[in-house]
Amino acid sequence: MSDIITVKNLVEVYSDGTKAVDDISFKVSEGEFFGFLGPNGAGKSTTIKILTTLLRKTSGTVNIAGYDVEKQAAAIRKIIGVQSQETTVDGDLTGRENITLQGHFHQMNGDEIKKRVNELLVLVGLESAAEKRARNFSGGMKKRLDLATALIHKPKILFLDEPTTGLDPQSRSAIWSYLEKINKEEGITIFLTTQYLEEADKLCKRLSIIDVGKIVASGSPKELKQEIGADSIRISLANCEKDKEKAKELIRSLTDVNQILDSEECLTVYAKNAGLLIADIVRALDISGIQLESVTFSSPSLDDVFMKHTGKRIRTEELVKAPSRMFGGRRF
Amino acid sequence: MTLLSDTRYVFIRYIRKLVRTPILLFFSLFQPILFLVLFTQLLTRLGNFPGILPPGVGYLEFATAGILMQNAFGSALQSGNSIVADIDSGFLQKMLVTPMSRPAILLGRLTSDAFRVVIQTAIILGLAYALGAFVTTGVIGILLIFFTIAFFGLAWSGISLALGMKTRSAETVFAIGGVITFPLLFLSSALFPISFLPDWVQTVSKFNPVSYAVDACRVLMINGFDWGTILPAWGVIGLVAIITLSATLYQFRKVVS
Repeated sequence: MSDIITVKNLVEVYSDGTKAVDDISFKVSEGEFFGFLGPNGAGKSTTIKILTTLLRKTSGTVNIAGYDVEKQAAAIRKIIGVQSQETTVDGDLTGRENITLQGHFHQMNGDEIKKRVNELLVLVGLESAAEKRARNFSGGMKKRLDLATALIHKPKILFLDEPTTGLDPQSRSAIWSYLEKINKEEGITIFLTTQYLEEADKLCKRLSIIDVGKIVASGSPKELKQEIGADSIRISLANCEKDKEKAKELIRSLTDVNQILDSEECLTVYAKNAGLLIADIVRALDISGIQLESVTFSSPSLDDVFMKHTGKRIRTEELVKAPSRMFGGRRF
Repeated sequence: MTLLSDTRYVFIRYIRKLVRTPILLFFSLFQPILFLVLFTQLLTRLGNFPGILPPGVGYLEFATAGILMQNAFGSALQSGNSIVADIDSGFLQKMLVTPMSRPAILLGRLTSDAFRVVIQTAIILGLAYALGAFVTTGVIGILLIFFTIAFFGLAWSGISLALGMKTRSAETVFAIGGVITFPLLFLSSALFPISFLPDWVQTVSKFNPVSYAVDACRVLMINGFDWGTILPAWGVIGLVAIITLSATLYQFRKVVS
């Protein structure tokens, strides 16, 4: 398939000298579900702002559907839909009015808008709330409405900047299923940024891991995890301090063990076919009279991938606070 | 033309917001109405002293034009807040990623400000009429008053919009707005006849654009179509508008790019 987004050597230096995006290059092909996974401040939002014509790049080239992002910004705005990190619906307008307004801004005609608005209300499951003011919507409903407003003109590419940050798990999985549907049924290319491992893993066909403005790894979630090459077995002992060294020795003598590290629960063992190894470990420890508390086995996660490339874990606050509002409450 | 249709949609959005938040209209009308009903009562006897007010003119009639201007100030200052709210919420960005006309974002806001100030002016004139002060120049005079106040309101929206985009803080807009508004109002012919004021205030008042705008509305209410007062007022308001709206445009360009 042909590339719909081509970014080469993109650099963004802020006026205070911060290098927010540090020479990144990547491609997204038409119809693909692509993602940027990285912690806060990695440069994800900055990249999206540049790609959606909101921010001027310092250097590099960005091509969206054959258009140059700076010389042909107007043409790009016609074919992209954008959902920013903040939920930007107008609380004083109803759900329907919010979507309709975006249709007008896209110069669609009235009948076309009406039809599409009805379709979208069904798509995001807001038919029954369509005539209510968005102010009274829950956080998840607002996000869904926001998503619908970004889709009014059937964009070729949908940019989503952390579409589920701050949402409860239920609303999050609802958004996920809408996104998968949009990607599959409408064939819209999706570029998503996220700091949630699970989100990237579940949705993205291909992703780039980004940290301090640089892409550190790219591939499908599966490929990236295979790169780690080892599963992990977390072992918790009844008396960790006393038995730890002996346990390490015993496990090391087993075949196919890559690495043994001290960890929170006591020990973490990395091995290629950890599933098969578990029985051996349990037997070896049992024979030597070391009492086990629990054994957990896990395949490599994207967090392990991130760890491997950056030396740290993505620490996401699962309970993200709603962005603080300005003093004074309602403003006009 | 996308400029016109986009302006229309932005205009409709703001009017909808306004109509659906009647409390805001109430608050911005509260102060002018308080002045109209109470303040004018305090000074009704001013007419008993000869030579202060023009002959045959009561204080209510005299002060209405000034109160209209106070009303224009109030609503113009809320304009800047609305742009701060749109920047903060990301709504401005949401508009900017669409192909819509950029100037329409400002024009829609400004026309809705003008529309709003006209509605408020109509309410105040209606109330003044009920209290016994009417516009001698009739319907055409009322329309000219609408025009003058809306024009003045736009010039002042320019200040609050520029401040709002520069500082990104609704509080600052209100604080600075308040600091500018009251001295300008008091140091003008808005609430007292110019001859009644101390010499230095008279001097300041001559350079105060508020005086010109008030005088134009006042002659339309009391005297008639005195073009020698009306046209210079429009000229002065135009001058202020050029300055404040240029500042707005400059700040808007910075926000947009």
